Amino acid sequence: CSMGSDDSYNFVFKVVLIGESGVGKSNLLSRFTKNEFAHDSRTTIGVEFSTRTVQIDNLTIKAQIWDTAGLERYRAITSAYYRGAVGALLVYDISKHLTYESAERWLKELYDHADPHIVVMLVGNKSDLDTLRTVPTDEARDFAEKKGLMFMETSALGSTNVEAAFSEVLTAIHKKVASREVTRGSISAVTLSSPLGPSSEAQEERKGCCRS
Amino acid sequence: TTRNIVRLHSWSGIPREVRPITWRLLSGYLPANKERRELVLKRKREEYFRFIEQYYHSRTDEHYKDTYRQIHIDIPRTNPLIPLFQQPAVQEIFERILFIWAIRHPASGYVQGINDLVTPFFVVFLSEFVTEDMENFDVAALPLETQRNIEADSFWCMSKLLDGIQDNYTFAQPGIQNKVKALEELVSRIDEDIHNHFKRYEVEYLQFAFRWMNNLLMRELPLRCTIRLWDTYQAEAEGFSRFHLYVCAAFLIKWRKEILSMVDFQGLLMLLQNLPTIHWGNEEVGLLLAEAYRLKYMFADAPSHYKR
Repeated sequence: CSMGSDDSYNFVFKVVLIGESGVGKSNLLSRFTKNEFAHDSRTTIGVEFSTRTVQIDNLTIKAQIWDTAGLERYRAITSAYYRGAVGALLVYDISKHLTYESAERWLKELYDHADPHIVVMLVGNKSDLDTLRTVPTDEARDFAEKKGLMFMETSALGSTNVEAAFSEVLTAIHKKVASREVTRGSISAVTLSSPLGPSSEAQEERKGCCRS
Repeated sequence: TTRNIVRLHSWSGIPREVRPITWRLLSGYLPANKERRELVLKRKREEYFRFIEQYYHSRTDEHYKDTYRQIHIDIPRTNPLIPLFQQPAVQEIFERILFIWAIRHPASGYVQGINDLVTPFFVVFLSEFVTEDMENFDVAALPLETQRNIEADSFWCMSKLLDGIQDNYTFAQPGIQNKVKALEELVSRIDEDIHNHFKRYEVEYLQFAFRWMNNLLMRELPLRCTIRLWDTYQAEAEGFSRFHLYVCAAFLIKWRKEILSMVDFQGLLMLLQNLPTIHWGNEEVGLLLAEAYRLKYMFADAPSHYKR
């Protein structure tokens, strides 16, 4: 099976969605966790949350995805939002250059609040709007490379690359944890202990439904 | 006074036919003095449209274009499931109301959530002219003057409401931070089980109650229930700014069984952000308000007796 049962997993990875208002963060979340797209979704207020369990390298990973409002004023509440996050998708809209220009500002905020080892992917969403494109792919890819970010263009509407974007991020997180590239007390502690609740402690000992 | 009598009778719900006039009175928009009403209405409506003439064109100015852009992308996302709100005439009304309010209140400006707060007023004032199937009513078919009156009245009543909760929307939203803290404190006193359950699974009140405060429960309840709720909020002194806290506490306790049976963080948050109120009507809101009133009586009016 490719989806683990809901209460057996080896790791919980908290991933946050950030970026300007209206770039499609909520629809990336619903496409990934429920395979749904809403043309009529309401603005996100505060934080919203969803999960999906996936298999990576024979391990069951529970991806806990946090979505937040893109409007400036809310950022006051978002330090709790970043706490414990091990991955981030920094989303812009390929048809709205302004949303791309603010990437640097979002990146700064992310590094101000989150674990320094956090895995970050720059995501150009709404790739279905190619005829209205104002952000060239190469430009965004170069920027991502320069900043040490992963990069992908997605369409939550067309269901293009959404799965790929999340699973690349989750795989990269897992590699970081597994390779012990980071020291104890940093990313491994964040993933393996309490921020996600007692039920997620000592997860390596838990049996997943799909483990051989 | 007249207003007090109206308050007393409105607390337990206002009949549909008299709701528009009653809301205009309770919000403080219309004077209680009957002779002055016509004149005040006329003056205020003119005043609003003078603001439009003077300021609405500035939405393209460098200084205001971010505000306008945000309002513009949020309007189609306000009540997206109701056809009424997809009409260009209605969206333009909302844009004007929100833009004018935002530039007249620079300390807060436009904050997401404020867009929702126009809706109940607009619907109630429109209801004077629509007998059935409001959700599909064509607003552009109304006489222009009627449309304008609905718009101006919605603007002024929304402004009155926001005057009482401005610190919800000023920088860093201190009003909301304080109310969420107050909710946590209140719940710890009235229902230790729920409070400890949240602690145990590391659910923070801010994670779900931020939206309850920011949008006055409008995201958690069907629109008809919000309208009923606002009958009471406007009848109650400091309804939106203080009584709402007790309503939120009563609302949380209402789901006690469901909350306590959920034994992981994920499940709890998913429950709390999708509470099943879709079939709620006046009866459920009435019970909620009665419980909130009880809590207010016990904890606001005599807090020391019940302190742990």
